[in-house]
Amino acid sequence: MKLTNFLKSLSLVAFISTSNLSAQTDVILSDLKLRNVQTDIMNVGIRIQKTSGLYWENGLDIEYSNKSLLNDKLFFGFSYVSSRLGTALSSNAIKQDNYILSARYYARKNKKLRPFSKFNLGYFNADYGSELFDVLDNTSVITSLEFGLSYTFIKKLKLSSSFGYNFITGNGMEGPGTLYPIYLQSTISWNLKQ
Amino acid sequence: MKKLLALCLIFSIISCNDQPIIDDSYLDGELIFDASTYNQAEYLTSYSNPNPTDSEKDKPVFIACHGYSATTFEWSEFKEWTGETDSYYISQVLLGGHGSNYEDFKSSSWLDWQNSITEEYERLVTIGYTNINLLTSSTSCTLILELLSRDYFSNTIAPKNIYLVDPLVIPSDKTLPLIGLIGPMLGYVESANTAEEDNYWYHFRPQETLQELYTISKIARKALEEGIKLPVGCSLKVYKSIQDPTTDPVGAVLIYNGIRTFNNTHIDVEMVSSDLHVYTRLSFRESISEIDDENQLNSFTDFVERLN
Repeated sequence: MKLTNFLKSLSLVAFISTSNLSAQTDVILSDLKLRNVQTDIMNVGIRIQKTSGLYWENGLDIEYSNKSLLNDKLFFGFSYVSSRLGTALSSNAIKQDNYILSARYYARKNKKLRPFSKFNLGYFNADYGSELFDVLDNTSVITSLEFGLSYTFIKKLKLSSSFGYNFITGNGMEGPGTLYPIYLQSTISWNLKQ
Repeated sequence: MKKLLALCLIFSIISCNDQPIIDDSYLDGELIFDASTYNQAEYLTSYSNPNPTDSEKDKPVFIACHGYSATTFEWSEFKEWTGETDSYYISQVLLGGHGSNYEDFKSSSWLDWQNSITEEYERLVTIGYTNINLLTSSTSCTLILELLSRDYFSNTIAPKNIYLVDPLVIPSDKTLPLIGLIGPMLGYVESANTAEEDNYWYHFRPQETLQELYTISKIARKALEEGIKLPVGCSLKVYKSIQDPTTDPVGAVLIYNGIRTFNNTHIDVEMVSSDLHVYTRLSFRESISEIDDENQLNSFTDFVERLN
């Protein structure tokens, strides 16, 4: 009787172990699949930006990572943010547009929370609304750096927030007067490719 | 941990450095005061002519208001240029907290600065003057914009003309919005005045007053974004240097877009070929050109012509 019970217990343990092993194997395979199968990534999102001491400027953000070039680490992007979609939407604020090309590097691949740094190069244009102000600079090159964090909520949905510093600004003597140095931005994006 | 403690120590030392060593040859000290503080009748029309006749009541009065850290001196050249005249009065207001010493300046708010203007305005209205014109520069322009934004003049006689010379709406120094963060660490900021200017402008700018400056400029900017309508019978002109190391010329754009006359027309704006802040004051500048003299003369002439 005792021997029968022992053999039953042994077969049960063997079954459970086999089941666990099978489940673990599935998880590992799935994980390996995620890690090893490189795919292009295309994040498209909405960018909300607030300049310290001035306007809300909102718009679109697109970024792309190629499967064969530091996949999911190095992204190239384009952003368009404008006060037209922010403070100037329903006020007398100056209508100004920012067209920005960027290169962004994310650390901590495959983690939900990832720090990143980003270099931006772009073009700024302000519409002063009258010929009276043609004597003032209203365009500029944009060069800025951003440092921030991104968080992946679900596989495709990501929120990133960063602190940015514009190296070229207006100073009263030259440059557009509403181009300020410090800004904060948040972008919520969706991966179209994965 | 040691590094952290050292950083905290440095931070606390910097934080405590809020009292400059004040030389009494500066306006900030205890020896030099703005002359209007002890001779109001020389500067304020409400004191020099407190009982106007009927014809005097209709005569234009310029209330001349100076900018941040300055004194009545900022409009003295206009008074000198005017000389003896029966055509109009010039009342030179000293903003609250200004023209005395560092501590008075440090403890003043933008409301104190503004009160000096409204007090003189109300005194003139009370004693019967009807043709009042606000001649303002830099920060005093901002204080007037704030008054307009809250319909201050709806309960009193509206000014006939408002002149804004190099108004502050957007600072040229784009780090001013950070003053709340870095100000307590700095304590104060030292200005680059010439030796003569140190007798008429504060040399040291307490961070508390810079915070006030940022606050009032932000209030004015937001009011302009929402829109300001001038009172009936009031006209406004902006005179703005196209290059200005203190107030960004783009401020003129915000004022132009943000203010309409009572008849819903645009206000007047003149962009002046100058790189001086408050180009109407030329005394004690390091160097001035013929164009600067010309700009000053043109504007003084225009101020008077607009009275008619």
